[in-house]
Amino acid sequence: MKSFHLEHRADGPVDIFRIEGELGTESAYTLEAALLEQMRNGRYCFVVNARKLEQITSTGLGMFMARIEEIRTHHGDIKFCHLRSRVYHVFDLLGYPSFFEILDKEDEAIQRFLNGGDDHA
Amino acid sequence: MEETIMPERLDSTGKEETRFQLRTLLETSRLLIESRDIPVILDNLLYITMDKMMVPRGAVLLYDEKRRDYRVTRIKGHASMQEEDRLTLPWKHSDHEPIVVDPMALDLPYPELFIGKNRGLYFNLRTSDHHLGYLYLGRKGNDGILNEQEIDFVESLSIISAVGISNSQLFGEMHKMNRKLDRRVFELNTLFELSKDFSFSTSRKVIAGTFKFALLGHLMVRKFVLLFLIDEEPTVMSSSGLTRMPNRQEREEIFDLPQELLRVQPHQHEASEFLYENKISTLVALRLQGEKVAVIGVSDKATGQPLSRTSLHFLQSLGNLAVLSIQKSVFLEERIETERLEKELLIAKEVQNGLFPSQLPEIPGIHVAARNVPSQHVGGDYFDVVPSPDGNHILAIADVSGKGFPAALLMANLQSMLHVLLPVPISLSEATGRINNLIFHNTPSDRFVTFFWAKYFYKERRLRYINAGHNPPLLLKNKANEVSELREGGMILGVVPTVTPYAETDVQLDDGDLLVCFTDGITEAFDENGEEYGKHRLIDMLIQVRERSPHDIMNAIIQDVNRFSNHVQADDFTLIVVKGTP
Repeated sequence: MKSFHLEHRADGPVDIFRIEGELGTESAYTLEAALLEQMRNGRYCFVVNARKLEQITSTGLGMFMARIEEIRTHHGDIKFCHLRSRVYHVFDLLGYPSFFEILDKEDEAIQRFLNGGDDHA
Repeated sequence: MEETIMPERLDSTGKEETRFQLRTLLETSRLLIESRDIPVILDNLLYITMDKMMVPRGAVLLYDEKRRDYRVTRIKGHASMQEEDRLTLPWKHSDHEPIVVDPMALDLPYPELFIGKNRGLYFNLRTSDHHLGYLYLGRKGNDGILNEQEIDFVESLSIISAVGISNSQLFGEMHKMNRKLDRRVFELNTLFELSKDFSFSTSRKVIAGTFKFALLGHLMVRKFVLLFLIDEEPTVMSSSGLTRMPNRQEREEIFDLPQELLRVQPHQHEASEFLYENKISTLVALRLQGEKVAVIGVSDKATGQPLSRTSLHFLQSLGNLAVLSIQKSVFLEERIETERLEKELLIAKEVQNGLFPSQLPEIPGIHVAARNVPSQHVGGDYFDVVPSPDGNHILAIADVSGKGFPAALLMANLQSMLHVLLPVPISLSEATGRINNLIFHNTPSDRFVTFFWAKYFYKERRLRYINAGHNPPLLLKNKANEVSELREGGMILGVVPTVTPYAETDVQLDDGDLLVCFTDGITEAFDENGEEYGKHRLIDMLIQVRERSPHDIMNAIIQDVNRFSNHVQADDFTLIVVKGTP
């Protein structure tokens, strides 16, 4: 299994997670813990920068699904950016582009939050 | 393309016209071969032919094999119909194989699409074995009809376009198939990865959590519940996005639904508040060796679409995999617990064995035999025979509530207390009071001890005893045929703090007098019919073997009890047999 790395930074109200390697079962729990830590502090706007993400599994995607209800209830969202074609293929195969906003660049994703993008709540 | 066509169209000589038409055909062919986009092909077909033939009205009608009608896919110059309208033609396409259908010439009723005198021709769009639809071209702007050459041209373009459309459709189908295949491969990979994850995990919590993520992620659903049968009760093992947990009745109702796969119907939503509130739209029952062990409930996809048949199959496969792994972990947990208990039992047995005196002291005036017979489980029996500093001896027998390690620990405490208090110059009554208080204050409320102890004063041949709720020892005086029971004392140890002092009572132990102390393992031993050995059998036995040595009397009782219970021993039993010597 490819190792998983996670980097977090905050830009105003938005939390950005740069993820690397494979987002599978084990790493899903790691990323969930990182999201939950922010959610406990009342922060619900997340950008997932997947520039270095090589692979994603159903379990990895499921972690986002398990948390999105609560996040959108609090007027937040998860936006993805820099998806590699292999990762995008999985998103596309399972129908995620119509549920999650996928942007080209991190800045665009952050701006979507700052400009009050769409509100899923 | 129109820019290149326009100047050429001005040339009206036949040769130029033919050359132009050939070039148009060539260019269109190239475009159609390169394009896999049906709308582009249709646009080209309609606009090139209308433009070239100077026909103001035209349409492309594509045949829908399922509905057996035509979809107006492109239309120009008609206000009464628009794209996506449906149309039935008053003839069967199979009856008119020729490429051009002229309803007027064939004396056919004219389709409703184009009424009035501006009627035109239907060019069959077909491949060698497939009818795809029609290109309709109305009359020319000057109401003229298409000449033979023009008809040939449109026919050729229709054939090329039909091939293009067919190829594009085929390409679309292949693309769809590829995607399906990709998804299937991804599903199999997911199942394969999960089976690895599950086999590495022994915790049902972790398995259920991973299952949840995989299910939510793969099916793109937000709400889910997994009910698993634990101790005959459907229990929520994992869930996500629920507004609330189902109560016991709701869980049982969901679990008892007879279908293996249920698309929840409106009346079922009306009947179950839980299903309705949480928008649970599908229930899947999962079985192990024919027994229903779990039910999964899921909502529609997060995008609102119901789950496809393929998704449901995946859900069943995933569910079966998870249920098998969860069940395996439940068995493993049970086995670990059994092994833990067995280990605990072994330690408890060691503790208990260490508490019994390895050798009984010689006591002037009496002979003593004592033995504990352990059962498979460690019970709470305890006995002791110890010298006191004043040269006399203490006899003690007790039964601690419970079994296993907790009972052995309490027994060890009791032994320590007894030995600590032995050299302290206090009465038996006071010592009992202190032991009672210590146990009461230091053990949980459900722990108690039945306790009998006595001090034997050898000079006076007197036995001073206290019975704290223990089975009364039996005293059989020499020559007498009736036993007396040593009942006096007070409350069981550890139930209430000492308020009233424990009463001491003295009895005489002369030559030939017999005292038997025992635990309830003796009297409560039962036979195949469930009948207890009881006190009366013990007394009868005692009278029968009274002349023997204490050791032989003890063994005779043990043998009799074992014979009675057919050697099935449910509980420990302990005996102290004391006999006065000359």
